[in-house]
Amino acid sequence: MSKKLRKAIALIFAASLCISTMLAGNAYANTYWQYWTDGGGYVNAVNGSGGNFSVNWYNCGNFVVGKGWATGSPNRVINYNAGVWAPSGNGYLTLYGWTRNALIEYYVVDSWGNWRPPGSNSLGTVYSDGGTYDIYRTMRYNAPSIDGTQTFAQYWSVRTSKRPTGSNVSITFANHVNAWASRGLYLGSSWSYQVMAVEGYQSSGSANVTVW
Amino acid sequence: MKKVLLLILISILILGGCTRKTSKKASTDENITNEMVFVEGGTFVNKNSTFYGKDIVINDFYISKYEITQYEWKMIMGDNPSEFKGDNYPVENVSWYDAIEYCNKRSIKEGLEPYYNIDKTSKDPFNISEYDDIKWTVTINENANGYRLPTEAEWEYAASGGQKSKNYIYSGSDNADKAAWYWRNSGDEYLKGDWSWPKIASNNNRTKPVGSTKPNELGLYDMSGNVREWCWDWYTESDSAKGSAYKIWKGGGWMGDVVCCELSYRGKYEANGMGPDTGFRVCRNP
Repeated sequence: MSKKLRKAIALIFAASLCISTMLAGNAYANTYWQYWTDGGGYVNAVNGSGGNFSVNWYNCGNFVVGKGWATGSPNRVINYNAGVWAPSGNGYLTLYGWTRNALIEYYVVDSWGNWRPPGSNSLGTVYSDGGTYDIYRTMRYNAPSIDGTQTFAQYWSVRTSKRPTGSNVSITFANHVNAWASRGLYLGSSWSYQVMAVEGYQSSGSANVTVW
Repeated sequence: MKKVLLLILISILILGGCTRKTSKKASTDENITNEMVFVEGGTFVNKNSTFYGKDIVINDFYISKYEITQYEWKMIMGDNPSEFKGDNYPVENVSWYDAIEYCNKRSIKEGLEPYYNIDKTSKDPFNISEYDDIKWTVTINENANGYRLPTEAEWEYAASGGQKSKNYIYSGSDNADKAAWYWRNSGDEYLKGDWSWPKIASNNNRTKPVGSTKPNELGLYDMSGNVREWCWDWYTESDSAKGSAYKIWKGGGWMGDVVCCELSYRGKYEANGMGPDTGFRVCRNP
């Protein structure tokens, strides 16, 4: 083998290693960053490196901050670590996303502040990732969506007790998707964004979450 | 001499008055032809239409050049339900039932035969919506000359340029930013990235005055974007469907994704649904 050919092979090998490393870096949930506030009170959100984000809020109106994937998946295992989760008042730590055709908004809520959503009757339970979740279906009437104003369903899995934070945990989303489907709650065929999010409503608090 | 001058002056005044009267009548006629654009029927020319290549022939019809404005709505209905106020802005926050009532009331006001029979006492058995608490039974007088909603096929035919079609994806262009007000371009700043309601709400997105984008091949404005437009038809997956929960809307609006602005996109919404991005335009038979 000529020296030139060996050099070329070495270069290709090195380049492929670089690309692999870059792709591995993209395992972080950083293809979608959501930051919305209605402008009420004080909300300071920071889009950190990789899959990290943090938010501090004080006497807020309503806000949603989250990080995840531009395209959701029913089979994704969402890993996260909420190193800080300290809501004082009304707030959720939740997996959140949308599907289209059918238009559905979904939540898998792991923890909350002083009010456990969504405040309706449970359709049953699902056990997943070391905890039991209640299943709910609620409706939003004439509400904003990617299709314009629509009336659509929200599917919920909400842990029966707050999940401990501060360590690496997972949400096996397929368990929830299957449990919802077994109760006739079918998600759509087209997947919009999917994020691990913090939502606050007329409350104060702080959170620091890394998602991958 | 003075008498002659006086006679000439009186003659000018009389003639002037007659001219004004004539022009007023002409103006009324012009409004009909200007605001209602004649669409020559035929088969679909635009290859991007869902109806292209199918055995469907559209009859001649008139369709309004613009989406129904708030001024037009107020003149007929008296109120203004719109969230974003302005006489030249499209009326919005109107349900399909509201649009049907507008058509009939306008027809009566203009001495035309109402196109719809509205039975408010019988629930329409075809309407299987879980959330529609109105469900009026509405049938048509096929040969009436009154105002009506376009059928889905008529809407798509007109939006696609009819016989003058240039095969655009959106109505009048392949470039959504030239053809339509939609979620990216209808607010304070041009939004990038993925669709996100929080971003849209913070960016003050809203409707725009009718006719402020490029017209299509037939001279029709805003058929893509601004407000979604109610059509007559039920949303069904097949012609043999035994019921439907939705009426069809077309054209997309300022809030939704750009895909909704494609002339082939079939939107659906409960007939009693209403939002600040939902309005309509009207048609008439020739």
